[in-house]
Amino acid sequence: MAEKIRIGVFVCDCGSNIAGYVDVKELAEYSRTLPNVVYVKENLYTCSESGINEIKAAIRQQNLNRVVVASCTPRTHEPLFRGTCEEAGLNPYLFEMVNIRDQCSWVHMQEREEGTNKAKDLIRMGVAKAALLEPQESIKSEMDPNALVMGGGISGMTAALALANRGYQVFLVEKQAQLGGLLLKLDKLAPSGADAAAFAASQAELVQKHPKIRLMTSTEVREISGYIGHFKVTAASGGNRDQFGVGVIIVATGAQVLKPHGLFGYNGKRVITQLELEDLFRKDAFSAGNVVMIQCAGARIEERKYCSRICCMVALKNAIQIKERSPGTGVRILYRDIQAYGTENEEIYRRAREMGVIFINYDVSNPPKVEEEKVTVAHQLLGRELDLPADLVVLSTPLVAGEDNEAISKLLRVSLDENKFFLEGHVKLKPLDFATDGVYLCGNAHYPATVREAISQALGAASRASIPLAKGVMTVEPIVSTLVDEDACRGCGLCVALCPYGALEIVRTEKGRKVRVIPVACKGCGVCAATCYQHALSINSYTDEQIGEQISACLEAQG
Amino acid sequence: MQYTTDARIIRIMCTGRVDPTMISDAFLKGADGVMVVGCHFGDCHYITGNYQGKIKVGIAARALDYVGLNPRRVFFGQCSSAEGERFVKLVTDFDRGIRELGPLGTGDRLPLPDLKEKIAVAHTALAKEKIRWVVGKFTEFTTQGNKYGERFTEHEMWRTLDTIVMDEVATHEIMRELRRGSASVKTLALQLKLPSSHVLKYVLALQRRGFAELAGIDGTSPLYRVVEQKVA
Repeated sequence: MAEKIRIGVFVCDCGSNIAGYVDVKELAEYSRTLPNVVYVKENLYTCSESGINEIKAAIRQQNLNRVVVASCTPRTHEPLFRGTCEEAGLNPYLFEMVNIRDQCSWVHMQEREEGTNKAKDLIRMGVAKAALLEPQESIKSEMDPNALVMGGGISGMTAALALANRGYQVFLVEKQAQLGGLLLKLDKLAPSGADAAAFAASQAELVQKHPKIRLMTSTEVREISGYIGHFKVTAASGGNRDQFGVGVIIVATGAQVLKPHGLFGYNGKRVITQLELEDLFRKDAFSAGNVVMIQCAGARIEERKYCSRICCMVALKNAIQIKERSPGTGVRILYRDIQAYGTENEEIYRRAREMGVIFINYDVSNPPKVEEEKVTVAHQLLGRELDLPADLVVLSTPLVAGEDNEAISKLLRVSLDENKFFLEGHVKLKPLDFATDGVYLCGNAHYPATVREAISQALGAASRASIPLAKGVMTVEPIVSTLVDEDACRGCGLCVALCPYGALEIVRTEKGRKVRVIPVACKGCGVCAATCYQHALSINSYTDEQIGEQISACLEAQG
Repeated sequence: MQYTTDARIIRIMCTGRVDPTMISDAFLKGADGVMVVGCHFGDCHYITGNYQGKIKVGIAARALDYVGLNPRRVFFGQCSSAEGERFVKLVTDFDRGIRELGPLGTGDRLPLPDLKEKIAVAHTALAKEKIRWVVGKFTEFTTQGNKYGERFTEHEMWRTLDTIVMDEVATHEIMRELRRGSASVKTLALQLKLPSSHVLKYVLALQRRGFAELAGIDGTSPLYRVVEQKVA
C-alpha cells in the first residue's frame, strides 16, 4: 500500500538575503497550493537552531514524509538539513533543497516580481521531485587496514614510513633496485647543505628495518582492481608475480629529468645539465674558469609550456656551490624569470648575488647561443649582444612526467594533466587526493617539487590516506547507480566501459550476464544511466522519473 | 552579477547524467531552449563524465535538428563553479539567441504543432537501442578503436550517427502512422514526405523484424499494420 505523500515546505528569509529581494510571504502562500504539500513554514533563518527545531517539530506533528527547504545552496547546507530529517526520524534522502538565494534573490535583485515568480517555479519543481524521492540507506564497507605506496623516492619512503609508524601494513613497490629515486643523483640539499645520498640512505635504512613495511624493489605494479577499502594489487618482479589486497594507494612515482638532446649544443661534456653538474661535485671533478647556466632549457616553450618550478632554486644552489668550491670561477645565470619564492629562497638568491653570481635576463624569442668558448646573449637593457666566456655550460632542464604515468593512470583510473603529470582531485580542496576515493598522490608525480615540498606532500598524503584506514569502515553516500530493472539488463557492458570509476562489473547470475554496481566505488555521475539503451540503470535521487517530473513542473504553464 | 529571470535550473550530479531524451522531453513539454552546463574538459569532477555529457547533448541536438528544431535551441556550455561571470555570460548569450528565434515553433523549420509531433518521434528514437548503442561506443571507437582496431574520427562517428538518426526517425514515424491505422507505402510516403522507395525499404525491414505485417490489399497496394509486441 502506497503511503500518502505529505510534504512540508520551509521557506527561508535568510534575514534579508532572500526576503529583501523575493516576496517570501507570497512564496509561502503559493507553496500551500502545491500538490502533496500539507505544511508550509516561513523561517527567518531555516538553518538556525529555531529553524531546525521547527522542521523537526513539523516532521513529528504533521507526519511529514518529505521535506523541502527553499533557501540557499545544497553545497553548504544540504548535509545539515538531511541530518535534521534523520534526527526527527525521517530518512535523510526524503529531503529536497531548492536554491532560491543563489538562483533568485542574488541574481535578480532588481526584479522582485520576476524573481519571485522564478522562485515559485523552482519550489514547484522541488516539490514535484520530492514526491518521487525514495528513502536510501548509506553504504558501509570494511577497509583492508593496509596501504600500497608506489615509488621509493623520498616521497614514497616518507609516506610509507608515516603510514607504517601509525601501525598500518605498507607495501612499498619500487621499480628500481635501489631506494632513493632522484635523490640518488643529487649532491647537496638546499638550504641545509645536507648530503643528499646520505639522507637517502638514512631514510632507506628506516624503511628496510621497519617491521610494518614490506619492501619490493625491482618490482612493478601490473594490475589494480577494486576500490577504496579493497584494492587488489598484482606486482611483478622478474618472472614472479605477487598478489595482495590494500585499502588505500599512494602514488609517489616521481618524475624524470629531461635529457636536452639538441638544445643549446648539449653534449654531456662541455654542455651539461644541472644534475650532471651535481655529479661532478660528488666526484669532486668540477673545474671551470667560467660557467654559464641557461634557465628554462626545454621548458616554457611551445613544446613544453609549463614551468618546472624547482630549476631556478637548483641553479641558485649550484651557483653558490661553485662559488664556495672555487671563488674565482665566474658564474652567470641566463634566465627568463627567476622563481625564488618565499623568504628563505629569496635569501638564497641574495646570497648568490653577494657571492658574485651575475644574472642576465634573456628573451625567449632570441635565446642565448652556445658557441666555442663563449655564450652570446642579447642583453635586454643594454640592447646589444654580450659575449660571455664559458668553458662549462649548464642547462637547467625541467622535470618531465614519468614514462609510466599513462599506464599507471589507466591502472588506477585517475587523471593526468596536459603535461602527463598526475592530476589532483581539486586544486584547493583535494590537493593530495585523486578524484577516485582511496588513492592519493605526492611529490614529483604530481608536479616538480623540492625535496622539502615532496616530504610535506608525502606526510600530507599519508595523513589523508590514514583517515579511511583509521575509520576502518567506509560510509558512502547512497546517491549511486542502481540496477532498477535486472530483467532488462542484457549484460552488454556498454556502461562498464564508460564508468569513470570502475564501479560497474558484469557478473554471471541465474538470469545470465548482468551488470553489478559496486556502490562504494560509485560516485553517482549518471553516465551509465544516461547510456543504457535498456534503461535498466538509474541513479538514486536523480532518476529519469524524478528529473522528468522536474521538467514537467518547470514547464507546467507552457504545456 | 545579474542575469535573465527566464532560466530555470535543474540540478544533476554531472553533465554525464544527461540522457538525450531529457532534452527532447523538455521541448515536448514546451521549453524554448535547453542548456546543459558542466565542468571544463580535464576538470570534470567526475573525471570523464562531461565528455559523455557533450556526446549525449550532441546526439539530442542532431536528432532534433533533423526533425526541424533549430539547433540553436540546444547548447552545451562549460564553466567551473568559480566562474560566476562566465555562467552569467553563457546564460545571457543563450537567452538572447532564444529571444531572437522566438518561442518554440518560430524560427524552426516546422511550426507547432507539427514540430512537436516530429520531436516526439525523435524522442522515441533517442530512447531506443540503435542510437544509444553507437553513442555509448563513441568514445571507445574514437580513442581505442573497434574490435578490428579501426579508429574513427569524431567527424566519422557523427556522420554515422546522422544516418542512423535518419533511419530511426523514419522507422519510428512509420510505426506511429501504422499505429493510427493500416496504410500503404504510397500513403506513408505522402504523409512523411519521403520517397516511396525509402519507405518501402523501412517497411520491409519492420516486417522482417516482426514489427509490421500485411493487413490487406487496397486496389493494387498492400496495406501494412503494426504488430503489437508482447511484453515478457
